[in-house]
Amino acid sequence: MFEHDDDALNRMIDRLREPVEMDPRLDTRVMARVAAPGFGARAALVWEWLRRPRAVAISPIAGLGLAAAAAVLIWVLPTHTSQPPSLPATDITPVQFVVVAPGAESVSLVGDFNDWDARLTPMRAERDGRLWTVTIPLPAGRHRYAFLVNGARWLADPSAPRAPDDFGTPSSVVTVGG
Amino acid sequence: MTIVHRVATLALAAALFLTGVARAQDPRLVHRLDSSTTAAVGELLDSARTAGLPVEPLVQRALEGAAKHAEPDRIVAAVRRLAGELGVARAALGRESSPAELDAGASALRAGVRPEDLTLLRQRRTQSLTVALAALTDLVVGGVPPDSAASAVLALAARARDDQIADFRRAVERDIALGATPAAAAAVRVDATLHEATNAAANPNTPRKP
Amino acid sequence: MRAGDQAAYAVLVARYRARLGRYAVHMLGDRDDAEEALQDAFVRAYRSISRCRDDARFGAWLFGILVNRCRTAGRRAARRQRMFVRDDVSLARAAAAEPPEAPDWDITVRRALDRLVPALREAFLLKHVEELEYDEMAQLTGAKVSALKMRVMRAREQLRALLSEVERV
Repeated sequence: MFEHDDDALNRMIDRLREPVEMDPRLDTRVMARVAAPGFGARAALVWEWLRRPRAVAISPIAGLGLAAAAAVLIWVLPTHTSQPPSLPATDITPVQFVVVAPGAESVSLVGDFNDWDARLTPMRAERDGRLWTVTIPLPAGRHRYAFLVNGARWLADPSAPRAPDDFGTPSSVVTVGG
Repeated sequence: MTIVHRVATLALAAALFLTGVARAQDPRLVHRLDSSTTAAVGELLDSARTAGLPVEPLVQRALEGAAKHAEPDRIVAAVRRLAGELGVARAALGRESSPAELDAGASALRAGVRPEDLTLLRQRRTQSLTVALAALTDLVVGGVPPDSAASAVLALAARARDDQIADFRRAVERDIALGATPAAAAAVRVDATLHEATNAAANPNTPRKP
Repeated sequence: MRAGDQAAYAVLVARYRARLGRYAVHMLGDRDDAEEALQDAFVRAYRSISRCRDDARFGAWLFGILVNRCRTAGRRAARRQRMFVRDDVSLARAAAAEPPEAPDWDITVRRALDRLVPALREAFLLKHVEELEYDEMAQLTGAKVSALKMRVMRAREQLRALLSEVERV
């Protein structure tokens, strides 16, 4: 029967759509190859190409269900780093923000943690000019934030949970702690 | 203090009271908003303070509106809304709740979590609720129906550590991004996290994941 | 490249690994091959990032590189299987390849996918598992939309037939 055959096919598709865990050590292997000396010369050509001014274009992948090339990495300081013993190290966590903004002249991280003042936390363009990053210490809790590109355009973090929109421009949330 | 000094002080206080500036305005607002918006927001802050609610989240919401050049009405409405949510959160979570917990609770309510579930969470979890409430909110925002998300976090509340709950939320989010239905993803991951939490409790010397 | 640039790329790798891994595993049917293809894709993407047009979506472009890597890996695997080596090691490995506790349905699904020729399998996975639009698939594969629609249709027909065979047994 036609319907019966489609049932099995749909079941198959459902099974195939389920998440597949990949070995996280793959990341290390990729980065080991990427860091190899041979990359130096070619990389220089790439940086040249990317530094040419061009229009800002940031778009999430449609249909792939994942946001484009932005990530928030949260990690806890390893206990062996040198920190003044008086600081309660567990209360503050360094959080790295990354966003793809090729050709942007400036990108700022703006949020609850810096009084929404765009002057306080400029992000740094990595040499390729595409990735902008900054790492800031944040206390435990939920923090609303967004990226401000060229002082004019607000960009939510495509890979972070959305904050409810009170002002007609997008914001994101990062939760620190735990 | 001399009598003259005292009268002068009282006169000054009266003058301030009469002009409606009973407390100093937050300088951050004064510099970023026009005077009428500052005054309107200031009133909301005063009410919140009187009610025992944290004021900083309200200030930040106003600053966000200022940064985004929002209309004054919109800024005031946003602050008023958040103040209301903080009030409900406080009623649900208890008067002893920390500002971070109330802020996280307000976000959960905004996302659609019921106040009763916040109260249940308070009953089941002895440590700070900030991370659990944040995870609950993020789950709902990510597509898990509020009652499924609440069930999941409540199931974890008694036994899981904050970092385990945070990992749980991230795992569910990943599964959803890969195509799992949100409620199913939450249900599956709860089992795994509970298992891990139970094992960790039984073996306290097992090193935590970096 | 400065350490910061690499750290930033590492973040992207971590982010995309699971999503792209799913396609590679189903396309190649072998986890080791899939991991290798995925690694290659990430390294190539890093190397050739200049070819990612600035209005292209980074993730989709990266996916396109992976689709190509899987095609190459698939051809290599096919050549390997044709080399018919009878020795204890490879027989033992072949026996171990399918873990006895894998549920029947998973084995059925895997076998059905394996029976499709690569071009049909690729189109089927991109359309129904990765849920891409035909235009996106055309960009990734270089094939025309009409050809892709035909491949997906044929894949569905063949899979339906294979699956109903199994159920009649």
